[in-house]
Amino acid sequence: MEDHGDEVAADFREALQDLTTNARFEIVTLTNIARENADHGLAISEALTNHIKEAPASKTLPALYVLDSIVKNVPTPYALYFGPKLYQIFMGSYTKVDNATRRKMDEMLKTWKEPVAGSISKKPVFPLELVRPIENALLAARNAYMEQAKFQTHLMRGRPAGPPARDTPTPPMGRAYQPPPPPHGQPPYQGPPNGQYPPPGEQAYPMRSGNTPNGVPNRATPPQPAPSAGPYAHYQPPPNQGPYGVPPASGINIDKLKDDIQQLIELDRAGFAQNMHDASKQNRLKALLDLQKVVQSQNLPQEQLMIISDQVAKLAVNMRAAQAQLPPSYPPALPPPYNTHTPTPPVVTQQFAPPPVAAAAPPPSVLPQLPAVLAAALGRPASNVAPVPLAAAPPPVRPATTAGGAAPGTLSLDAILGQGALAALLAAKKPATPQQSSTAPVPPPAIIPPALAALRSPPQRAAPFQPPPVAQQQPPAAAANPLTQNPSALLAMLRQSGLLGGTPGVPTPPSAIPSLPPPDPNIITLTPASLKFPRLHLLPYLLDHLGPPCSQCGRRFPTTEEGRKKKTQHMDWHFRVHQRVAEAEQRGQHRSQFVSELDWIQSHEEPDVDYNAPSGGGGSGDGDGSESDDNDWSAAVKGGRRKKNEKKKRWITAPDEGDGTGTGTNKVCPICQEKFQSRYLEEVQDWVWMDAVVVGSGQGRRVFHGTCWDEVNTGGGGGGQGQGTMVMLGNSNNKRKMKEEEEGGGGGGGGG
Amino acid sequence: MSIPGLGNISAQQASLPSTRTLTLHPFSEWRFQISPTSTATCRLLSGTAERDGTELAQTKTYNLTRCRSKIVTFTGATLEITGEFESEHVKHYPHSADSPFVAYLNLHFLLQARRSQSSSGSGHGPRVMICGPPASGKSSLAKMLIGWATRQGEQPVLATVDPRDGMLALPGTLSAAVFATVMDVEDPEGGVGVGCTPSSGPSAVPVKLPVGYYFGRERVEDDEGLWKDLVRRLGSSVRAKTGGDQGVRRGGVVVDTPAVEVRKGEVKVKGEDGEEERERGERVEGLMHVIREFAINIVIVLGSPDLEAELRRRDRKTPLGEPIEIVNLDKPDGVVEQDRQHLLSSRKALIKDYFFGDSKRALSPSVQSFSFDDVVIFRAVDAMDLDDPNQVLERAEISEEMSHWTLAVMDASVNDPLETVRQAPVIGWVCVSDVDKDRRRLKILSTVSGRLTRPMVWGRWPEPYVNLLG
Repeated sequence: MEDHGDEVAADFREALQDLTTNARFEIVTLTNIARENADHGLAISEALTNHIKEAPASKTLPALYVLDSIVKNVPTPYALYFGPKLYQIFMGSYTKVDNATRRKMDEMLKTWKEPVAGSISKKPVFPLELVRPIENALLAARNAYMEQAKFQTHLMRGRPAGPPARDTPTPPMGRAYQPPPPPHGQPPYQGPPNGQYPPPGEQAYPMRSGNTPNGVPNRATPPQPAPSAGPYAHYQPPPNQGPYGVPPASGINIDKLKDDIQQLIELDRAGFAQNMHDASKQNRLKALLDLQKVVQSQNLPQEQLMIISDQVAKLAVNMRAAQAQLPPSYPPALPPPYNTHTPTPPVVTQQFAPPPVAAAAPPPSVLPQLPAVLAAALGRPASNVAPVPLAAAPPPVRPATTAGGAAPGTLSLDAILGQGALAALLAAKKPATPQQSSTAPVPPPAIIPPALAALRSPPQRAAPFQPPPVAQQQPPAAAANPLTQNPSALLAMLRQSGLLGGTPGVPTPPSAIPSLPPPDPNIITLTPASLKFPRLHLLPYLLDHLGPPCSQCGRRFPTTEEGRKKKTQHMDWHFRVHQRVAEAEQRGQHRSQFVSELDWIQSHEEPDVDYNAPSGGGGSGDGDGSESDDNDWSAAVKGGRRKKNEKKKRWITAPDEGDGTGTGTNKVCPICQEKFQSRYLEEVQDWVWMDAVVVGSGQGRRVFHGTCWDEVNTGGGGGGQGQGTMVMLGNSNNKRKMKEEEEGGGGGGGGG
Repeated sequence: MSIPGLGNISAQQASLPSTRTLTLHPFSEWRFQISPTSTATCRLLSGTAERDGTELAQTKTYNLTRCRSKIVTFTGATLEITGEFESEHVKHYPHSADSPFVAYLNLHFLLQARRSQSSSGSGHGPRVMICGPPASGKSSLAKMLIGWATRQGEQPVLATVDPRDGMLALPGTLSAAVFATVMDVEDPEGGVGVGCTPSSGPSAVPVKLPVGYYFGRERVEDDEGLWKDLVRRLGSSVRAKTGGDQGVRRGGVVVDTPAVEVRKGEVKVKGEDGEEERERGERVEGLMHVIREFAINIVIVLGSPDLEAELRRRDRKTPLGEPIEIVNLDKPDGVVEQDRQHLLSSRKALIKDYFFGDSKRALSPSVQSFSFDDVVIFRAVDAMDLDDPNQVLERAEISEEMSHWTLAVMDASVNDPLETVRQAPVIGWVCVSDVDKDRRRLKILSTVSGRLTRPMVWGRWPEPYVNLLG
């Protein structure tokens, strides 16, 4: 059968190859194939996964729609097969497609969080744990992009609508109001909410053969080391990738990073040679050289390397884009530069190992100390490792001397990666440790000790020149400066020189308090900015984390032992109330008077206490806490002050001889030596002993007739109050047997 | 003499209009208005949805009437709705981050964090005051915060010092209650209507026990002195409650306040109905009074940076020594400006609910005849320039003028000092249905039959309900 599975997968793959449009019938056909061959679901899912991974941008969306369709129509087993790879599939596709397609993908993602439309199942298409990391990553990317936008537009001047990020000026990315999906019961395929697949022509980027060299001139660039594996190795994270661009198990390879920087330098140098008078290029080149020196000379912590390599990767993209503008023959409508499948692109920043997309087991970690945060961000078990603070690595060199703007003296992960990135990191970590209380303070934002105020001064001053290992075309700059010893300072310098986007002083939302480091978005503070920051990961604390809801009133009960018990009680209560509501209609009811101040203050709402528990003598017989059947004030004020002359029916549930509870209970009242009579009490739907009280506990536990007990302990006529042990009975003067008060009540239990 | 069956006035409509299904995306709202004479039903088919912080049970049919409200979903939902609506539409936000609920949810989680922290500290949960201009969603937010807290097992106190609201009481009353149980989704007032208070029979949704103080006026400025006194009384009751009950102490307090509008340094008081507009400099002072009496430590201003600034100017510490935190949130769009007609009909409906019950629970009040001499009815003195400052109430002269008015029954004795009577908690209301001056008898509609031994207060608001008895 294994062979057959391969065959099916091969056929499926071929069919996919032909899928270039969003033709509904083709998607339906493929879905049906998948349905019929669910036996070979694993093979088919792998075929589809690989296809999505490898398909050119134009074919990606149709393939994703196939996935969407299959998962929604044949959830078993496909949701299971695609689930673990969902993140890589989605993010991998997201990075290579254009904005229009991303919008479609956003829509699709949204539907994955909901139950399949028209289905009876209440489960979402994919579990939220799988979808949420993707959302968080997208959110982080978008937030980060906002900061970068300025820089992007600067660099991408003249370039056609750039794909690297969601670069529409306004945030609503495809989330504009969409009319609700068409009515249910349509043909099997319930697509994304817009209900239909757009014709391919709508896509901003017509299909381009992935094999066509895109003609980017390879100027002044030495031959590149071949990408380590397959076309996917060309995968470049979009600019400002938040946490998601980093493959889970690969650390930052410092050698590769050095190579990348070296390549960038050479590229930049070539650009500089063309235009000697461009001061910005000069600055950038200097900054890059500094960076190279720092990376080479210092033993930087992983976190720093990670940041640097991210930025380098971004730069590579941008610079290549800038280069691409130069040749006049270059066609105006470009595919995303980092989506090119040229055999040897001018610059390949391959600091990332190819992400283990299809592999179930991640490749051995290059650097085992890869921050756990990243692993968590990718939805992998974070093994409860707290985010590693970025702090401490670079020693504070000098306190800030000039107030160059906001946030002087501090530089946080937010400032480097862009506002929201940390939030996304932490947010993505949440699902991995769902038990974490919503209120548990998250470690404070990593703060790198004072970056120098000098950072904001022109880079020339701060640019020490160390001859890089390659031949120099640059005149050496100023003398060495301790600045270079501080990587975060360097990052800031890069930013200053226009190499990196996102000025640290202008974090988007929390700019109100400039003198503080940007607050950790995960800690909610009472500021408008913090309150407006979406924290969707907290929502389950009001929903699913509380357990499944009661079908009658929506109240949720946890699935713990205690929760189940409470729910049983609660359902019993619903049952009783339903019964009694009907009766009460006939009997006639009236609004109760409000309680006095004192009673209100002393009343106690305890929704889950069952007052039917043995020893009902304490409270009113038919009370059930605030969920009292009779909404009598006395019941509600239970536990509080009790009125004088209160003559309550006292009863206990009749001990069951069958189980252990009954064996230790006396069956005769020790005072009058009469047997207790069991009686069915309608209100509690149980057999009870009327007029019975429990005195003492444990071995000394005894059941008395309440009236007998009172008679004895009140000294026959209210003379002596109960002493010591009798507090639980209060000061009742009631000497009559309950039987007398029970007239018409079905016969007293105590019996005379 | 009791009149059984009179409560069944709001009978269900026989015809079942067309059924529609609504699909709500996450963070979208279904906003609707239903007139008092029509009913509609709503059923949650899939997903999760909630009204004012209380979740809808799946597949249970909820009957709605006489309300202007919304059902919101955070995860997406499918609703099935039937019935007649004055208007209804689905509000989608282009991005969920645009929804005002993001801030509200964050606020709730912040309060939850404070509650958790309080366990290790003073034990006092957050005391939140919500204020803002008219129609800024104050009451909705208050209900949501309470509903969410209750869902997470907290027992917070909801208090209102806005006499117009009538939370768990008739309008004209300042009241408070602990919310530990699910709120009534079907209640027109969103679970805080007077219909949710206890009756002698069972209730499918757990009832809430209020404590209320009768103000008997529509606007605070109509009798600012009394309002302040009652706020003080209510505040001290709530403090006593939180002091004696650990769960309630942890749950904290949410206080809803009368609308206050501040513009360019001047403070304006504007009626909810948009008709009355007066300038008074003391209104912010009134809020400060609430802050003091309830030991408020968190102030939420909705949609009024000017009011926020005005409050900040007076920023002080709470009696517990905590700083008072003030934050201004955007006013949500879509809050319905309550027109006068709607408010009037709501008030009448509340009075009717109080005596006759609602569609779920028909109550049988009693109409009794009393001699003028059997009842003690007070009325606030009009002229405050009396020699005796304690002469705050006077015996009201019983006349036809009193017909159809609701009187508050005070938890006091007729021999108590007038000031005590005036500030006593209210234990119920009666309605004067008929006055026969010649025979010196009057007919009174009351919830329970029996003698009326307690002093009653004839307020000046809410206005008489002429057709209460048909």
